[in-house]
Amino acid sequence: MNVLLALLLIFSNPSEKIKIVDPWMRVGAQGQATGLFFKIENNSEKADTLYKVEFEPAGKVEIHETYDAGDDMMGMREVGQIVIPAKSSFELKPGAHHVMLMKLKRDIIKGYEGNVTLYFKQAGKIVTKAPAKEMMK
Amino acid sequence: MKKTTNILRVLTFILSINFLNGCYEHFPLDQDLTRSQNFFLNQDSVKVQFPKIINDKITLLAMVYTHCPDICPMTTHNMHLVEQKLPDNLKGKVKFVVISFDPNRDTPSVLKKFAEIRDYSFNKWTLLSGDEQNTKEVMLKFGIKAIPADSSFDDDGELSYNVIHTDRISLIDQEGKLRSNYKGSTANIDMILEDIKYLNN
Repeated sequence: MNVLLALLLIFSNPSEKIKIVDPWMRVGAQGQATGLFFKIENNSEKADTLYKVEFEPAGKVEIHETYDAGDDMMGMREVGQIVIPAKSSFELKPGAHHVMLMKLKRDIIKGYEGNVTLYFKQAGKIVTKAPAKEMMK
Repeated sequence: MKKTTNILRVLTFILSINFLNGCYEHFPLDQDLTRSQNFFLNQDSVKVQFPKIINDKITLLAMVYTHCPDICPMTTHNMHLVEQKLPDNLKGKVKFVVISFDPNRDTPSVLKKFAEIRDYSFNKWTLLSGDEQNTKEVMLKFGIKAIPADSSFDDDGELSYNVIHTDRISLIDQEGKLRSNYKGSTANIDMILEDIKYLNN
């Protein structure tokens, strides 16, 4: 009976349907802003939507995209949410979609690791740990 | 014999012209930045003149704002990568200058923190914050555009905004001439290193 319950728990765990791969945040100074990046793998049969992110050391958190504004210019805008189709993945990466961590309450230095809470419409709340680096490469 | 000598002379002349053209055309720009000076505060709030502070050095320069979470840190990171990959004979010959086009928020102390958290050494890096007039004049010299966007007031009453801006790293030679521009956030590090080596020769 216990084994059955355990199996049920494993297979009903929402984090199995949505997998967060290689989360990291860029270093940033207190009072300034920085970016959070990760890959979302949606292994379920349904599309899912990332609609909110929480990071305690940030006074404000938004989901953004960086875009080419033409004439060698780059811009950034809030997108509100990211839809990940069924059986596919979506990567938040430098120069593209990212989570913007603003009004940092503390320095985010190299080697720091912070808990980030991601909210999905289907999978619910997923907590992941993201280390701080200067850059991916 | 005389005919052969003449042919050789013509060939030498053509090759010389091609060589000189090659040198001249290596860089797309030849813009003298030293005709006027602009005043800024550096990261230690010391008043400095630009481009006087880069005198005799090969310089990589970018204009950024520190509230940018993505493009600007990628740009300064690329400059940092160039610094780390410089051969020993060039390590003391290259300066790195960052000027904010958002000086209202980017005070000297804010710029200092931006650099310190990324381990930029102030022996080689200078971060500048100026008034509106000097900032605009330098933006004009480097062809930099910066347009505030998405402004709103946060719950604490603070004005928040992003900036749509030119994404660029500029190369300045030892005589204070702007010689080349590169896309800042996706710069080809090896190309910049080659251009720096070319200037050193």
